[in-house]
Amino acid sequence: MRQSRRIESLGSAGLVRTQGMGADEIDLRSDGWVVWGSITVFFLLSLLPWRLMPMAPDLLMLVVVFWAVHEPRRVGMFTAFILGLLIDVHDAGPLGQYALTYVLACYGAVVLHRRLSRFNLRRQALHMVPVIVMSRVVTVVLSALVSGTWPGWSWLIGMALVCALWVPIGWLLLLPGNRLASMSASTE
Amino acid sequence: MATKVDLELFRRRVPAQVKLVLLALLACLLLVVDAQTRFLEPLRQGLSVVLYPFQRVVMLPRDAVVVVQDYSNAAQLLKEESEALQQQRIELSQVIGNAAQLVTENRQLRRLLGVIEDKPIHPAVVVEVLYEPATDYRRRLVFNKGSRQGIEPGMPVIDEGGIVGQVIRVTPFSAEAAMLTDEQLAVPVQLLRNGLRLIAFGSSIPGKVEVRYFSSDTDIQEGDVLVTSGVGGGFPAGISVGTVESVERDAASGFARALAQPTSHPERYRHFLILKVPVAASRTNAAPDPSNPIAGETLAPVTTN
Repeated sequence: MRQSRRIESLGSAGLVRTQGMGADEIDLRSDGWVVWGSITVFFLLSLLPWRLMPMAPDLLMLVVVFWAVHEPRRVGMFTAFILGLLIDVHDAGPLGQYALTYVLACYGAVVLHRRLSRFNLRRQALHMVPVIVMSRVVTVVLSALVSGTWPGWSWLIGMALVCALWVPIGWLLLLPGNRLASMSASTE
Repeated sequence: MATKVDLELFRRRVPAQVKLVLLALLACLLLVVDAQTRFLEPLRQGLSVVLYPFQRVVMLPRDAVVVVQDYSNAAQLLKEESEALQQQRIELSQVIGNAAQLVTENRQLRRLLGVIEDKPIHPAVVVEVLYEPATDYRRRLVFNKGSRQGIEPGMPVIDEGGIVGQVIRVTPFSAEAAMLTDEQLAVPVQLLRNGLRLIAFGSSIPGKVEVRYFSSDTDIQEGDVLVTSGVGGGFPAGISVGTVESVERDAASGFARALAQPTSHPERYRHFLILKVPVAASRTNAAPDPSNPIAGETLAPVTTN
């Protein structure tokens, strides 16, 4: 950690920032434990019965997608797939359903992450609305086709809540690494 | 922490598109294989064993609240329970007296007729609800005991009101049961009044049981009591299932259906009883019997949510 801070301070020197084309920007500030700790906490929260409510937002999805935008080198589609599979097993639902949703949402996040790093949280949330909604639409339509019944529209409200919670939860997640300051600086 | 400064000019990583296609295909493959076959049961069981400690840890606060609540109004609870039990005891003593008389009479009649009595009493396991899975269509409960306690798919779950459901999936530490109102469950039943054999299904109306596939002139009325018939072997005979609430007779198709209110209350309590009926035997018996499509492992999960 100490070493990484030193390099960060040298960052202005220019040479240390040299990196290969196609590589993600070097981010030395955020800690792995914030990323994985928050994912673990929200995963444990998802095991609680509040998700029985018809309009419950999928907070685990929110956190995974959020980190896929902000830490694409740590959290990606593979993580999303494994977490989705675990949620499928917990819900005793068809295996692969949440895995597919999370993978699709994460793909959108990975593709958009460069563009999103220029915006503040509110605008990021707006950008993520179609990604988050579409990823769920695919699995809802798939399962409706297989089971022959339409589950209603309450899941859409849940997805809207996920997008709305992007700002407060994202603010909380970025708090430990002091990354908010840099973000507001980049938008102004 | 290793620094991630990397002076490599072109980084070779798997492109996001390739990852997406691979993982999405894998997810779709899992969905199809899981819906059609039971090949993925070991995977599911393995993952659920991994999940189990997390589930227990997460439930600890809830369990603590329950313990504190039970402790704080223990006196009140005990008083109420003892009053209820006292009343039940008086009622039961009358029933027992009646039953004892009937048993001796029945035995005598059976001896006269030369009928062999064969009514084994099944051992049972008390289970507690671990959690209710969040699915849109299905009514399921997950209990805190599994194959390590000898629970197998196909065993019936009962409470003091009657049939609650049937175990459909088992892991070493937990068991998943489809409730009576789950659309995938079918129970062979009998009318207590006239002995008519029917099949009860979970209904699309929440909290109800539906009796289907009988002709519209069948003798079934509001208030009729449904009990398990024991046909097919999956459920022992004579366990209460529900009370008929309404009968719809459709003159055009010639068929009728009846809605019944289950006598069990899976939503009220935490403890249930799983009857350890010999499942393997009943499954082979039930295989050619269309009246019991859910017997054991013949269940094909429907994709939901």
